[in-house]
Amino acid sequence: MTNSMSNTEFVTNLVENQYKVLKTEVLDQYQIAFEVKKEDVHSILSLLKTSGWIQLSYLSAVDWIKDNEFEVVYIVFNWDKAVHIQIRTRLDRESASINSVLPIYPGCKYYEREAHEFFGIKFPGNPDYEKQLILENWDDIPPLRKDFDPRQYSDKKFSHMEYKNDFVNKDGKVSKQEAREKRFSDADKLRTGGKK
Amino acid sequence: MNKQYSIFTSWRHFKHLFKKPKTIPFTSIFTKKNMNYLNNNSIIRSKKKVEMSNPRTAGDNQRGFHTNDWEVCIGCGTCEEICPTEAITMVERLDIKDEEGKLQQRPTIDYGRCCFCALCVDICTSDSLKMSKEYIYSHEDPNAFELMPEALWQGHAVEEGWVKDKASNLLDLERVHMEHESPDERKSSFIEIVRGYSKEYAKLEAARCVECGICTGSCPVQMHIPAYIKAIFEDDIEGGLRQIYETNPLPGVCGRVCTHNCESACAIAVKGEAIAIRWLKRYIIDSAPNDMYEKILMEPVSEVVDARVAVVGSGPAGLGAAYYLRVMGYEVDVYEEKPLTGGVMRYGIPAYRLPDSAINKDIDFIEKIGVKMIVNTRVGKDITMDKLEKDYDAVFLGTGFFKPRSLGIPGGDHKDVIGAMTFLPQVRDYERGVLKLEDIDVAKSIVVIGGGDVAFDVARSATRLQMLKYGKSDVKLTSLENEDQLPSSDDELFEGSEEGIELFCGNGPQEVMIKNNKVTGLRLWKCLCIFNETGSFNPEYDKECEQIIEGQQIYIAIGQSPDYEYIPESLQGKLQFSRGKIKAGEFGQVEYTPWLFVG
Repeated sequence: MTNSMSNTEFVTNLVENQYKVLKTEVLDQYQIAFEVKKEDVHSILSLLKTSGWIQLSYLSAVDWIKDNEFEVVYIVFNWDKAVHIQIRTRLDRESASINSVLPIYPGCKYYEREAHEFFGIKFPGNPDYEKQLILENWDDIPPLRKDFDPRQYSDKKFSHMEYKNDFVNKDGKVSKQEAREKRFSDADKLRTGGKK
Repeated sequence: MNKQYSIFTSWRHFKHLFKKPKTIPFTSIFTKKNMNYLNNNSIIRSKKKVEMSNPRTAGDNQRGFHTNDWEVCIGCGTCEEICPTEAITMVERLDIKDEEGKLQQRPTIDYGRCCFCALCVDICTSDSLKMSKEYIYSHEDPNAFELMPEALWQGHAVEEGWVKDKASNLLDLERVHMEHESPDERKSSFIEIVRGYSKEYAKLEAARCVECGICTGSCPVQMHIPAYIKAIFEDDIEGGLRQIYETNPLPGVCGRVCTHNCESACAIAVKGEAIAIRWLKRYIIDSAPNDMYEKILMEPVSEVVDARVAVVGSGPAGLGAAYYLRVMGYEVDVYEEKPLTGGVMRYGIPAYRLPDSAINKDIDFIEKIGVKMIVNTRVGKDITMDKLEKDYDAVFLGTGFFKPRSLGIPGGDHKDVIGAMTFLPQVRDYERGVLKLEDIDVAKSIVVIGGGDVAFDVARSATRLQMLKYGKSDVKLTSLENEDQLPSSDDELFEGSEEGIELFCGNGPQEVMIKNNKVTGLRLWKCLCIFNETGSFNPEYDKECEQIIEGQQIYIAIGQSPDYEYIPESLQGKLQFSRGKIKAGEFGQVEYTPWLFVG
């Protein structure tokens, strides 16, 4: 690396010269993200590991429910060049599965278990990926999926407490709070001119 | 690699046998408040032990039970909104004094749900909600776990735990910067000073709003402020425009020159700079394209009613009435004596605050939905009131206050003592090219009497004319009120001073100085107080503290009075007047003349 080249430029050259990158995003001087095809993930991570990015800092996913896809994100770190690299790839949401990166980064073991638990992504190659990690006796869809409804879940699981306290003091007058709330909800309807 | 264990391995635990226990005794962790409960339930038997208890304090930043100072809390409900576990509910308390900028509600917290995350503290707009170091509470009644935090915790003053600081604060207290023309640039022209927000800036500013809605109560027309700010944030100009028009038919004008009481009531203003509500409203109007207006206004709102209404005067009151009557299906004709509609908007407020283009946009819209404007027609001269009564089902009077109130001091009737509403229409006509610079008689040095927005309009317009005419300005402004009590808006005071207006606040005019039939200045006495004990206007002066300020013309902007000459005497006899206004019922209907309404 020449002195004139910044760390992010170095990484960009390294990855883009050898692989087809769908999108490159330089977040700041310490962070860079590449969106790549699912097939390339493992060889890019191998390349990065041999180039000094020896630590898998994080592995997680984003639910792009409108695109019907999950985006898996690997973040790797180099202790000599201060750049975090994100490798992102999209998976089909219905059959989300990507081979484990256990042979490259053994530390992924627990991250992959977590991603499976919270998103339902499968990681063949990791013998423990289906093992429960944090959630005890979870019996609903993985909770970080956008179609998971926390309100419905809590209504189903927990009893509702009706308090008998009466803190309200209207002094015998007409409620202003109700009128205000009605006005606010009416104003929302105005946006569409009363149509749905 | 695996360690080998033998059956003796566990024997190593015996080494703990003779160590002192690290257990924290009950007496040092619970507070005296729970004593009764613990006693009743036989948890602690010795009462003495409890009384001697010495609860240790929790660490700084302990996120314990909440305290909420009701005097400081404004009831905005932002804590309720942010609570991730829905533990907070705003409860109506009409026993709290009803004040501007506050709502009569306070939070209750369900400690069965609360997760002590402190988001409510970090977003609190008034910093009233805090967390204490108290973390133990027990009770046999489950209902007692819903509490209404007050300044004291369980009746005791307690130490503060988690409080909001700069790093944890979730509110954006600084206003998004608005471009203004520089004082030098604007001083010698009538160019509009405030440039308006771009889409990005408007969205950033809108994002600061916490949607509490306290502002709506301070707005004279109760606009749906949080709703249209949300529409801006979601980039829904059309929706915002509809929400605005439901309560305000002149938003382009109000987006520039309204008194923005909403901004003084804004919850964010308690600790920071208020949301720029007025400029956000202007952003919607400025960025709504004409075809969007067309689309919205062509939607039928109401059935057509077979009734006609005449509106006298095309100022804000007249146009407002005309718009709503038309929307309700009435046929409306507006009569205006001047060649242009808009009244005080068109002939009073200077163009650097309110350009014609903004007025046109609002009025064109009202005209497009079918309100007929009849200009150059003065009621009482070109058409009689009797005819209006005969031709129409109802008549609405929306005539303004254009006649200057007289000064009532020696020399006050000199021709160089000029009323604000004589001067300002000339200024606007000059901007439109109807009058030339030579046609307006502005002296090289002038004095303006008055401390309201109109006084500043006069002073700042005169500054501009002097700059254009003589290349330099000399404007003095004097008012009864002191500088910190001026009735004008802060913007006027700030921008006016920037433009070089000299202030002589806290003085009362006593005499217009005249020499050789020419005005030379104004004699002032120090004003001691403006109102007497009963609150009526009765200024007192300090004669010893006298000064004479020089000026070749005196402009008076101390309020205007109405002109009712157009109303025939026969009708005037039936009307009652109070402080210049025609007395009418709640809905503007005049007693004994049911066909007549006033604004």
